This record gives sequence, C-alpha cells and structure tokens, in this order.
Amino acid sequence: MTYIESRDWSEVPEDLGKFVSFETSNGGQIIREPLRGLSAFRATFKVMFHEERRKSLEFAKKRHMILFPLMLMFVTTIATIGLQFLVGDSAAQTSDIESKTFTWNELRFGLHAPLLMFSLGMGTFAFMGRDAIIQRTASKNYLLASPALLPLPNSIAHFAYFIKDLVFYVMLILSPIILGMAIGILLDGIGGVNTPLVWKSLPWTWMAMVATLAQGLALSFLISALWMLGRPFTFFTPLAVVAFALSVGTGVFNLNHALWGMYIQENQFIGPLFLALGTSIVIGAFASILIRDDFDVHVVQKGDLLTPAYNRLGFLGKGTIRLLVAKEFVDLFRSGSIKKMTVSYSIPLLVLLGMAWLIDFAEAPIPINLLSYAPFLGFFGFNFYSWLTILDSPDFMNGLPMKVPDLIRAKVVVYFLATSWISLIFIILMAWRLDEWVSLPTSIIVMLANSIYIVALTAFLMGLRPNRAIFDASIMIWFWIGTVLPLLGLFLLSFTQGDVSLYGNWWERTSEGGLAATAQMYDETMVQQGYLGMIGISTFLLFASAFLWKLMDRRWGKAEFSN
Amino acid sequence: MPEPSLPLVKAKDMAKKYGDFIALHPLNVEVHPGEFFGVFGPNGAGKSTFIKLLTGQLRPSKGQIEVLGIDAVNDPQKVKANIGIVPESESPPSFLTPVEFLEFVARLRGVSDLQETVAGWISWFGLEDKQDTMCKDLSKGQRQKVMLASAFIHKPKLLFLDEPFANLDPIYQRKCREWLLDHVKEGGTIFLCSHVLEMAERLCNRMAIINDGKVLAAGTVKGMKLTPEESLEDVFIRLVGKSIEDVERSQETDDSEE
Repeated sequence: MTYIESRDWSEVPEDLGKFVSFETSNGGQIIREPLRGLSAFRATFKVMFHEERRKSLEFAKKRHMILFPLMLMFVTTIATIGLQFLVGDSAAQTSDIESKTFTWNELRFGLHAPLLMFSLGMGTFAFMGRDAIIQRTASKNYLLASPALLPLPNSIAHFAYFIKDLVFYVMLILSPIILGMAIGILLDGIGGVNTPLVWKSLPWTWMAMVATLAQGLALSFLISALWMLGRPFTFFTPLAVVAFALSVGTGVFNLNHALWGMYIQENQFIGPLFLALGTSIVIGAFASILIRDDFDVHVVQKGDLLTPAYNRLGFLGKGTIRLLVAKEFVDLFRSGSIKKMTVSYSIPLLVLLGMAWLIDFAEAPIPINLLSYAPFLGFFGFNFYSWLTILDSPDFMNGLPMKVPDLIRAKVVVYFLATSWISLIFIILMAWRLDEWVSLPTSIIVMLANSIYIVALTAFLMGLRPNRAIFDASIMIWFWIGTVLPLLGLFLLSFTQGDVSLYGNWWERTSEGGLAATAQMYDETMVQQGYLGMIGISTFLLFASAFLWKLMDRRWGKAEFSN
Repeated sequence: MPEPSLPLVKAKDMAKKYGDFIALHPLNVEVHPGEFFGVFGPNGAGKSTFIKLLTGQLRPSKGQIEVLGIDAVNDPQKVKANIGIVPESESPPSFLTPVEFLEFVARLRGVSDLQETVAGWISWFGLEDKQDTMCKDLSKGQRQKVMLASAFIHKPKLLFLDEPFANLDPIYQRKCREWLLDHVKEGGTIFLCSHVLEMAERLCNRMAIINDGKVLAAGTVKGMKLTPEESLEDVFIRLVGKSIEDVERSQETDDSEE
C-alpha cells in the first residue's frame, strides 16, 4: 500500500551517504536499456533533419526557400566568370597587373574566412539546447528539448543536431555554390565568357568548404558548451577566443593552421581533409559530452524589476514601447542573456582593438583609420538583435492590446541602449590608440548611424524571426543591398581620411586609374569631399532608419506575435 | 495471507530546492503495483516537481529515488526508458507530424512492429485526419492526445501522468479514463498529479493532498473524509485552506512583531 509522508528540511542531512538499493520491484516488466550511442543518434538524426527543413520552410515559404540556393548559385556563377578580372587573367591585363590583382591565396581566404565566421555564428548549439529546454512548455517545442522527457541522452541529441546542421548547410549553401561554379565553367568560351576556374578544382573547393564549415560549427559548439559549464569557463573561454583571434590576426599563429579548409584547398591532400573533418567531428562529439543531462529550469524568487526598469525609461514617453522595453530588459537580465550577449558583442571589438595595438597599419596596403572601423560596428548588431528575438515566446501578446511593430521597435531600442555604450568605449579607445582624436566626433556619428540603420533594417525585413529569415532569398537580397552598399561606401570614403599622406591606397587606384593606377598623395579637396561624403551617407542612413521605423506598421502591422 | 508486494517506486527524503525556495520538502514515498495513486494540490503546490523528480526529469537536491529497481538519480535515462510520462504542459515537437513524433518515440523505446503500433494509437485517438499535420498546427487537445499516445506506445507497466486530461474533450476523457482503469486492472500502476478532484473519486484508490511542497494528508479517497457527507472538495478546502490560514496567521504575527 502506498506510503507517503513529508519531513522538515532541517530534519534530513544534506548528504545521505552512498545509495543502497531499496529493492523495488520491476512489476513484471522486462527492463529495457535506453538507446545510447550510435543507435540513439540514428533514431534522432533523420527526424531532426525533417524538423530543420520544416522550420526553415515555415518562415521562408517553399518558393523563397528554393530561391535561396538558386540565388547563391547565380551569384557564384557571376563570380566565377568575374574571377578572370580578380586574378588578373583577363584580356585587359598589363605588364604590372600581378601586383594590382588578388592572388589565388587571397581569394581562397576571401572564401573561407567569411564561411568560418558564418559557421561560428550558427554553431552555438549548447545555448540553443538550453533555450529549447527552458521554452519546451511554451507554444513551440523542438526535438532538441526531447531528452528532458524521453530516454535520449542530451549529449546525443546535441551531437545529432550538430551533424544535422552541418549536413543541412552543406546542402543548402555549399553545394549551390559549387553548382554555380560548375555553371560558370560550362559557360566558358560561350559568347566571350572566360573563367580561369577548372573542373578538377571543384571537388576540392567543395570538400575544403565543408572542412571550414565543420570547423566553425564545431568550435562554436565547443565554446558554447564550455560556457554552459559556468565558472571558470565563462571567464576564460572569451579570453581564449580573443587571444586566439589576435594570434591569428597578428600572424603569430599561421593562418593555414587556423583555416583548415584553406590549407586543404591550397594543397589538395586527402590526409589533411580527413584530419580536418575528423577533428571537427571529434570536437563536436567532445562538446556534446560536455552537455549535461540537466533539465532544471531554476525557480528563483526575485523582487519586482519591471517597475524600476519602467521608471528609468521615462525618456521613452508613456506609450507601449516604454513598457515593452522595460519587459525586454527584465528578460535580458533574468535569463542571464545580458552577460552572454555582452561578451559575444565585445569579443570582435576586443579583437579589433588588439589588432590595432599589435599591428602597425601604416605598413598595411589599405590605409585603415578610425573612421574605417566605425561603419563595421553596426554589423555586429545583427546577432544581438537575433538573440533578443528568442529570449521569450511572444505568443501571449496576441491577446493584449499591442501590435507586432511595437515589440519590434522595443527590441531595436533595447539593442541600442544595451550595446551603444560598448561601441562608444571601443571607438574612444581606438581613437586613443590611433591618436586620431580629431576624427572621433565624426566616427561616433558614423558608428551610431550605422548601428541604428542596420538593426532597423534587420528588424524591418525579418521582424521577430531573423534566424529563419537568413534562408529567405527575397529578404536576404534586400538585406545585402541595404547593408553592403552604404557600408562599402563609408569604408572606401574612410580611406580619404586619417593619415592622408599615405601612398598607394585603394581609393586612388580605383577612382582614377582602375587597375593600372599609380599611387599619389591626396589633396585637400578630396579629403574634404570624403569627409562630406561620410557625413552625407550617415545622415541618409539616419533618415532611412526613421523611414523604416515608420514603415514597420505597414510591413508587420497585421502579423501575429510568434517567433 | 499474501506477502506484501515490493514497491515499484520508492523515494527516501526526496527534496527539491531552488536557491532559498523549497519546491518540495523531504518526502518519503512508496507506490505499490496495481495502485492508482493520485497526488492533488492547488496550483504551485509542488505536484509537478514531485512527478519530475520521480521520473528523472529533475535531479533532487536531497534524497534517493528508485523506480522499477533503477536508481533514478544516477540513471534517469533508464527510468525514462521503462516508464510512460505525460507532462503537464508540454507539446510534441512543433514541426513534426503526430506520426513522425510517435515513430521517433517508438524507435527510442524499441517498440517492435513500429508502423502498426503507431497507426493503432493514431486511430485510437481519432487523429487519422491529422496524422500528416504538423503538431504546431494541431489544437491543444489534439496535441495532448499525441502526448498521451507517446506515453502509452510501449505499453509500460508504470505510468506517470501530470494533468493528463487537460484540454481533452469529454469523450476522450472518458475513453482515456476507461483505458487507464483497465490498465490498472491488468496489473499496471499509475501515479497521477492533478488539481481536478473529480479524478480522485473516479480513478484513484489512494491519494495524497500536498501544499507548499509538503504532504498534508494521505489515504484512501473514502478515508480522507471526516464524515460520509463531506465531499472531496470540502476535504481539500479543509486541508489546504487551513494551511493558507496558517500562512496568513503567521504573516499577521510577523506584521504585529514588526
């Protein structure tokens, strides 16, 4: 017969000693061993793949989802045809063309470095798993949370997720790129089209890209898994990342060792390929093992944070935005995400700052100065905004008298309030290091304008689901047009500032003589025009942000609260 | 006289604390084969914590737990592999169809004749026309049916059910009730948590009432009543209400002391 009784907390010692079986019965049931290892992986992987496909389709819709690889293919085909100009292989080449074009190695770096950055951004599976566990009772539930309920080890679920993401990105991103290259080669000789790319390089390019992708996902997974272990990893892991990035940036650590795919593509050895893929999988498996079967969602009693937050936001008026911003800040602090997000936002800035400390840019082929950094700060806002959208499920707001654009605007405000001080500290430190105090006010304007604009554009185009939107071709085309053009403009114009006595800069070459340009000193007029150009673009971006802010109602006014 | 059976579930001084907040005070419990045992209590009483600790979903702050001869603290995966769990407010994965989710669960649980078993439960819950719809697009009741099917699919002897009939229509409530009663008749054991007292009267042969993480009373449904006329709701209010009055009284004492 059932027996049940409670005792007081103090009556029971903290340590009950070694467990000795109570000799409970199995009730006549044949006791099964849970699936472990490969069997559990097999049962999970395929279903996770279905889930991923549907998740992506749900936001992007089938048509746009197919458009995304098609767009990648098209862009790669154009790039393949354009390669002849980039490597100085075109008919228009001159005797000194080699010094004014890219080497194949530089182009490989241009392929693998962004791919690694992308995969580092997408591989924080330990964070995703924790979020899935916490939100499993909300409106959406994912297979990554299933170990909480089912006999599936958390480590296996995470490892399956890692492999699933790797395969998914290979299919959705890398393979269309290779197909695009293949089409470029097929067009060779038709209508005067030429490409220096050859068939036999395609399998190696594909395999090398797979290696880079696997490396980025595995490293990012490992970093997030270490972070989840708590102290001291939350302290040392970011430091190690900064130190590693700096050692690569300053050349202390060989780039070939840092970018495995690039080395593979350059040398075309099968051994390093297997070694790179094997190491990535081992890192992924090790990161998985670090994921504990911990499904505790901590119940912590806290005092009212909403009212104090609300009271401090008086400058936002008395409308819904103020209330939502206060709620978002409470979410940020209570979820512990503020620490995670601040660290991840600061890491690239620390690396840039460290680079400025360690490298003498006067010797660099590009005249980088304080104003060159300012536009890039806005770019890091995309990740921060994405995280803001997954902090909490907004479905409950469907029953409240508010609209999706209100919440989107609140997240943009939170992004701005939470990160602009970091960017400001960074730009001041950079001004000090580069001794460019004169450029500081302009740099601050450029930085703020860019930050606001890029997050406003992200929010306008992607709403509450930026993570899904990256596979929607129609959105990504607008995103790239909207970000790359002003960013490139500001970046190139920044070369007219700073140390203007610098010889041999890019702006001269491209604006006056194209590839055959000779270097000469800037004159005052060009410096002035460059300055006005930067201020002009920044002002335009601020107006564009205000316009997007207004348009938010039109685009998202009828949308439902869902992430 | 038959020998008393060994319990299927036994916990000793099982407790859960989050920081300074005690979600469940140290608790000793034994559940024996063939019982339909219900734990009842108001919202936030600690019922879900109780069930999550026994099923290996949570690690206790103190105490030892054994289920079907398995150490639930150190081998929770094995416990989960041998029981059925219906959680209080969890949905099946949003982007899988009911068939896919049940197939996934059946594979993990090593169910033989997988297709037939899944089809059988889909049919039993009347989900044939929804079997290819993603779970996120199902109604709450339909999602609950999928969760119930996932707990029953491997025919476990021991079932843990947390508010199992939430969102179910009366027809399926009755159908599930009858299935559960038959399950117990055939030697199965059920541990149920709810705040719906009607379930105690209709289903449970023994019950406990908990509040603020502590057991207030336990016994047979009949034994809980002071008089035959007293309803279970009266019992509940008497026990829990008294407890709340105690809290209020202690608050008043605190206030006056200040």
